[in-house]
Amino acid sequence: MITLENITKQYIGSKDEIALNQVSARFDSGLIHGIIGISGAGKSTLIRLLNQLESYDKGNIQIFDYTDLRHLNKESTRMLRKQIGMIFQTDHLLSRKTVLDNILLPISFHRKITSEDKKFAQDLLQEVGLSEYSTRYPEQLSGGQRQRVGIARALINKPSLLLCDEPTSALDVITTGQILQLIKATAKNHSVDVIIVTHDMYVIREICDTVTVMDKGRIVEHGDLDDILFKAKHPQTQAFVKEIGLDLSSVVQQFDPKELLLLKFDESIVKDSIISEMIQTLSVTASIVYANVTPHRIGIMVIHAPKRIDEIKLFLEKHKVVVEDVI
Amino acid sequence: MLFNLEISTYLDALWETAYMTIASTLFVFAIGLGLGSLLYATDKDGLWENKTLYKILSTVTSALRSIPFLILIVLLIPFTRILIGTILGPTAALPALIIGASPFYARIVEIALHETGSDLKETGLSFGATKLQVLFRILIPESLPALVRGITVTAIAITGYTSIAGAIGAGGLGNLAYLYGYARNRILITIAATVMIAILILLIQVVGDLFVKKLSKKY
Ligand SMILES: Nc1ncnc2c1ncn2[C@@H]1O[C@H](COP(=O)(O)OP(=O)(O)OP(=O)(O)O)[C@@H](O)[C@H]1O
Ligand SMILES: [Mg+2]
Repeated sequence: MITLENITKQYIGSKDEIALNQVSARFDSGLIHGIIGISGAGKSTLIRLLNQLESYDKGNIQIFDYTDLRHLNKESTRMLRKQIGMIFQTDHLLSRKTVLDNILLPISFHRKITSEDKKFAQDLLQEVGLSEYSTRYPEQLSGGQRQRVGIARALINKPSLLLCDEPTSALDVITTGQILQLIKATAKNHSVDVIIVTHDMYVIREICDTVTVMDKGRIVEHGDLDDILFKAKHPQTQAFVKEIGLDLSSVVQQFDPKELLLLKFDESIVKDSIISEMIQTLSVTASIVYANVTPHRIGIMVIHAPKRIDEIKLFLEKHKVVVEDVI
Repeated sequence: MLFNLEISTYLDALWETAYMTIASTLFVFAIGLGLGSLLYATDKDGLWENKTLYKILSTVTSALRSIPFLILIVLLIPFTRILIGTILGPTAALPALIIGASPFYARIVEIALHETGSDLKETGLSFGATKLQVLFRILIPESLPALVRGITVTAIAITGYTSIAGAIGAGGLGNLAYLYGYARNRILITIAATVMIAILILLIQVVGDLFVKKLSKKY
């Protein structure tokens, strides 16, 4: 678990502009966390505090066993960084080293490279789908392939946390999807927590469990993916959600909220015809006013039921549908 | 005999010029790399950002570069006498050549390290590298082709300096061109010396390019 408490950060030389203003957040273990915000919101600054590539002025950060990052000595800072892998927007590979040597590089800063290390690097290469490419040089790879090498390199020191700063911003849509799935899969295989920075809601919806929305150096919304997707309160969040066609608020406004139910399906029940079954069994009227049952992880639906709404709720819950009020 | 002068005189002069160029280039490479790294490291976004130190180093570097070479030789006469024991001959030219060319190469090193960039510095640090490791294991190796290209240019500039030094007592092809050619009004000897310098410079360029090619060829 990582916690930030009232973090304030101002870059030297920037007059009134505060990069991070009283930021507090919690990132639980075992999850993929997304940070989204427009350019200059402070996203990169926030994650760069975690491995102390930047320092902060006020507040406190807890990460792993470290409680006061600001006052770590050099050696502890290096150990902290060793436990945190980092992936960048562009690959940042060394052009004069082979793919394999690039992957092994982070180890070499801490100790001599052993034959086991080489084997592990080769395994990682296989995992990212590049086992044939170990002796190539970065310039002989495509952007997507280089990003894969970057992922393997970030995992070589067996980190507990992976920081990704816009890892797919330079890639096309299809490659983006592949890289995101790869990050998700490798994070799971290696039990690594992930924090991923992006300005693209698609990235968030694709792999994130929690979302932190930033604006002008502040966190304006911070919660589970569902809540952010379907119950966004801040205009900035709503704008992001709208981008991926999940703009619920405009639909909801046309009805009395007391007559609306928000249903969430997970993959296991998406195929069942629960709604028609409900209408038949209970002989009630209910109309679907919004549905998005094909997104990647969860399907959601908003139904308008002017009568017997409690019965409907009970029925649906019995059929493993999560039912919530629309706020 | 060539233009009434022993061939061996030409060869001796060639050797002296080659010796001055090669010996001072080796020193310039080491000193320039050190100074250039320091300039890079203390500058903004460097590894050990230090405004005051950068200002001092940068001013000294620029000041040394701005002294005309002929004047530098004269200024260094007392120093050279103590260090080498004489102010005549090719070895006596080395201090001036080294001090004259090192700041030039240092700037090239500084630029090359900056170009290799803050991205790779960040990458190294983010994986727990020490700053020294970032410099020696990432930035310098990545800049190697640029550093070699830079030392080639520098060596060629040094060859030019040797002829100035030669004209005032350091020997070599410059001495030949000036003393035998110009002073005794034998233009053909001047031309012969010039052609030999040109060949030497060409040779340096070819060797430099070869190294760069070797360094860049990876597959
Ligand atoms: N090294 C720096 N020196 C001074 N100011 C900086 C520095 N880095 C960032 N800033 C400023 O801090 C603020 C936050 O920047 P940050 O890079 O964290 O934004 P971001 O959300 O990552 O933006 P982007 O999406 O463009 O990457 C911006 O106003 C930026 O100008
Ligand atoms: Mg950023």
